Amino acid sequence: MVAALSAVFGLALLPAGAYVAYLVVWLGVTLAAALTGIKPLALARRGFVALPFVLAALPLVFTRHDELLWSGSVNGVSLTISGAGLRILLSAAAKAWISVQISLVLIARHPIESVVGSLRRMRLPDALATGIGLTVRYLDLLRDEGLRMLRARASRSASPLGDGRIRAGGSLRWRARVTGNLAGALFLRAYARAARIEEAAAARGGTGSLSIGTEVPADPRLVAGLAASIIMVVTIVVVGSLLPQW
Amino acid sequence: MIHAMHIPDGFLAPQVALGLWVVMLITLALALRQLRTTRRSATRPVLMGIAGAFIFAAQMFNFPVAAGTSGHLLGGVLAAVLLGPWAGAVVMTTVIGIQALLFQDGGLLALGANVVNMGVIGTLAGGGVARGISVTLGGSTRATIIGAGVAGWLSVMAGAGIATIELGLSGTTNIAIGLPAMLGTHALIGVGEALITVAALSFIATSAPDLLPSKAQSTTPGDAATQSASPLRRVVIGASIVLLTGGLASLFASTSPDGLTKVATDLGFIGATKRPPFELLAGYTIPGLDGAAARLVAVGIGAAAVALVLLIITRIAGRTRKGGQ
Repeated sequence: MVAALSAVFGLALLPAGAYVAYLVVWLGVTLAAALTGIKPLALARRGFVALPFVLAALPLVFTRHDELLWSGSVNGVSLTISGAGLRILLSAAAKAWISVQISLVLIARHPIESVVGSLRRMRLPDALATGIGLTVRYLDLLRDEGLRMLRARASRSASPLGDGRIRAGGSLRWRARVTGNLAGALFLRAYARAARIEEAAAARGGTGSLSIGTEVPADPRLVAGLAASIIMVVTIVVVGSLLPQW
Repeated sequence: MIHAMHIPDGFLAPQVALGLWVVMLITLALALRQLRTTRRSATRPVLMGIAGAFIFAAQMFNFPVAAGTSGHLLGGVLAAVLLGPWAGAVVMTTVIGIQALLFQDGGLLALGANVVNMGVIGTLAGGGVARGISVTLGGSTRATIIGAGVAGWLSVMAGAGIATIELGLSGTTNIAIGLPAMLGTHALIGVGEALITVAALSFIATSAPDLLPSKAQSTTPGDAATQSASPLRRVVIGASIVLLTGGLASLFASTSPDGLTKVATDLGFIGATKRPPFELLAGYTIPGLDGAAARLVAVGIGAAAVALVLLIITRIAGRTRKGGQ
């Protein structure tokens, strides 16, 4: 996890327009993924999950007035396209795309249970470690329960749009209330489940803390790993600043 | 479904991202410290863990607003009301962290920002506003639900606004354009959040009323929400909330003429209007001050005036009650 954070940090430190450096980092990530058994194309495709966020940076292309690439008018509206704005947009998109792939490799190499176990070994406060472990363990169960509720809602009442695009399922306020009712009902089920878990744990002599998460043995190479992470960040930044930029 | 507030990596400058990581860690440490000293039943580790999974699942519940657009729950205020603000902050941090790790919904380096925008603001600020409104309105279950609804809307707006400012400080968006766009979109998303939060709490209040904090039941000895607040305190809290809401709403204040002014101009009778004999805060601005600062100061003066009137009314009501006893 420290290595993944270091790689993302190193990537974030790279200047805008260092496309060759981005390519080098991406190739490194792809290599790490290949060693884990993930195909580069599948990884690249899943990396696009963050790209809709580029809309946030899109205004910069039209509002900055430095390094003008084009200026003119469209339907009477004067427009300019800034090279500097475009560079920021493309750099942010590339960094987001690669960063997602880095976290995908992290989670492929280390299942979430082992990440939780590592956090516990790092002496994370018990309330937090138990909370994270239980959230991960019961995530699928409550998601399935929620999906069943949504299926029931869709088949019996508040479907988004009816046949022939006729609005079905009452007014907007009614649909919001039904959705809130589902959330309330799910909370009550979650609350009841928590009480059952506590009772079961108490019956076994538990004290409220649950040892959840795969216990990760202490890594004797921790110091070496941390040093390697720092070297990786410095290498990415130094090499990135030496490589050509646009 | 809209996840506009989950900032991915690559969009925040490293110094902004690291600064928000520090804010997240400090808040988390404070929250865990508070939980150690709290004896509220909702802060049990097992319930907090299951509540994390619940928030995760509840975020799937969307309702159609229009074709292609749907509203869904963020859950910060709901978690704060059901579990308490500090426990809610820990739960939301867990949820947002797992979303980043498991589903790449938000970045690892941007985790601090996402936790601050959606977790800390939703639970600590949103929970505070909800509690403030509840205390101001008398602390009943109904007051708690109304407070949660208003806080739900405010928390979405504040989160969106702060996310835009973080992106602006990082140089990846233009705040002047991004802020109105983000706040405009999230004003509607916030309504969805408020409606779902209110409905969820109403359902719980009907089915299991003992799970909701109210004036009648004490959850923690000395818990401010459960105590009867003094009239002065109610007014101060109420005025602070008016100031916060008005401050956010003032960002939408349009410089364009309103409908009546436009019609008057078009029909040529704008010149026939007479000015009043005196004007207070004309055009919601302060003479000598321009822009957003003037509007915020004007809102502050307005809120103070409202608070003063409320204080006088509360005093009168108190005297009338005493006289009747």
